[in-house]
Amino acid sequence: MRSFLKNAILYFVLLVWLLAVVMPLLWVFASSLRSSREFVEDPFGMPWLITGSPYAENPDVDTPWESVVAGYRKAWVKSKFSRFFLNSVLVTTLSLAGIIGLSSMASYVLAKFAFPGSKLVLLYFVSGLMIPAQLVLIPLFFQFTTLSRWGTALLAPFGYELQLHDTFTGLITIYVALSLPFTILVLAGFFKSLPGELREAGIMDGCTEYGVFLHIMLPLSKPGLVTAAIFNFLGIWNEYLFALVFMNSDSHKTLPLGLAAVSIQAQYRTDFGLMFAGLVIVLVPTLLVYIVLQKQLTRGITVGALKG
Amino acid sequence: MKRTWEQSLFIAVFLTPAFLLFTVFVAVPGARALLYSLQKWDGLSKPEWVGLSNFAALFRDDLFRIALGHNVFLTVTAGSATILLALFFAAVLHRRVRGSAIFRVAFFFPNVIASVAVALLWLLLYSTTDFGVLNGFLAWMKETVDWPAVSLPIPFTGKPYLVYSVVPMLVWTATGFYMVLFLAAMEGIPESFYEVAELEGVSPFGQFWHITLPLIREVVVVGVVFLVIGSLKLFEAIWIMDNEWPSKETHVMATLLYQKVFSEYNVGYGSAVAVLMFVLVFVATLATLRFSRREALEY
Repeated sequence: MRSFLKNAILYFVLLVWLLAVVMPLLWVFASSLRSSREFVEDPFGMPWLITGSPYAENPDVDTPWESVVAGYRKAWVKSKFSRFFLNSVLVTTLSLAGIIGLSSMASYVLAKFAFPGSKLVLLYFVSGLMIPAQLVLIPLFFQFTTLSRWGTALLAPFGYELQLHDTFTGLITIYVALSLPFTILVLAGFFKSLPGELREAGIMDGCTEYGVFLHIMLPLSKPGLVTAAIFNFLGIWNEYLFALVFMNSDSHKTLPLGLAAVSIQAQYRTDFGLMFAGLVIVLVPTLLVYIVLQKQLTRGITVGALKG
Repeated sequence: MKRTWEQSLFIAVFLTPAFLLFTVFVAVPGARALLYSLQKWDGLSKPEWVGLSNFAALFRDDLFRIALGHNVFLTVTAGSATILLALFFAAVLHRRVRGSAIFRVAFFFPNVIASVAVALLWLLLYSTTDFGVLNGFLAWMKETVDWPAVSLPIPFTGKPYLVYSVVPMLVWTATGFYMVLFLAAMEGIPESFYEVAELEGVSPFGQFWHITLPLIREVVVVGVVFLVIGSLKLFEAIWIMDNEWPSKETHVMATLLYQKVFSEYNVGYGSAVAVLMFVLVFVATLATLRFSRREALEY
């Protein structure tokens, strides 16, 4: 009997926290389905979309479905969430490609080829983990013009110009550079655990070093690549500070930046429907990715943290 | 093993891009920030060397002291609440409660939401308008049980209250992460330890206190260090909830840095704040390394 009571108390506490986590999210989803008329009539009611509108007989009032569609269309089109969304997809995809490409190459070489100074180079990369983003942010902001000029000089023979401020190129470059320490640390550990005989066998069979990396090592290190990709995805998809500093024009804003900008304006106009719709647009992709990848994600934390 | 010319070329080709990118966009700017912190500079004219006077100015400046105080306050309050709750939930789920997978998946979720979205979500929960859930709940309490004895609505996100209102939000976001961290460590403890304790008649709390906690101590320390580093860098929560323009009552170090550099163009001051943040993160990281270097317990 006593243990039953104890269990009941434990379950109660767990359920309270479960509600505390889930209810605010459900509330945002439900509220995004409600029109401003519904908020006026009952601030805490269920969406009429579900319970049915009391104005169903009145042709002058939009049906619940019409007002939901209108609300989301307003957010998606007029407030440019479609633009922000595509920008975020573009920036995240290209950054991830760059991070995984560069980090896997560098960490493979550092883990498997003991050239003089290879340990030192690994330490150099990993020491970047201790640098807070804010420290890098200030000089980058003031040096972007100089860096763009150098880049343009380098690319001039190919007929390209490099502009880093307020461009996707600039933001992606920063994201890739800042992600190198963490990703190289994770992947170097992974490559170290692969047997070196694989490489020798590949070379015997006439593979080049490039071929060994591409056809043997990369496929074998897939779990490590996936872990690294998930963490970098979350970091970049949700990143705010660097986007805030570098992306000034509206058409270049990423999703977190756009959501913040639209919401703060919406608050002054007390257009809360727009805020709810915007939040849902931001939350849904994260939720989907989380549901699909949560196993790998929590496993990654465990491995990363326990191995230091 | 003798290295052929081709092999050396291969190493160079694979290493150079990452090396250059890291050097140009992380290492050099990091070093340059150290120089900035010793200069007086508005970002345009010629910088002027001023030695350590930026740092001296920081510690004389009320604004910085208040911001640092807020960081410390949030670390201590939200941090200890997070660690305690995470330990509690991990211990409960570790003892194989029914449906523990659901709790674990749900509790972790707030951690993957963009911090901007979390801040806006809580801004809406705290809202003083009709649909503000928290104020609505308090109003309902007042009506039904005549409590609390305060005038409603409470402006939770108003200047003087904001720093306190951020605490539950930070705990809400972080608890799941640390719970998963601790839970993983607990799963490494052999079941036989608990079986023996059970036979000896040790209570569940006694088992937690004498078996679980000592054996996961190092992971808890790592967790505390993660938390400290995280709350030193805290930016979005304050920035968004104070309408992208924090002031004396609400600043933390990162928001103060942003304002000083990007709107007042006081680059030296802002860089000095960044360097201090770096020093604190550095100390915290070294502390973790010291702990994780210690030999892992073998069972």
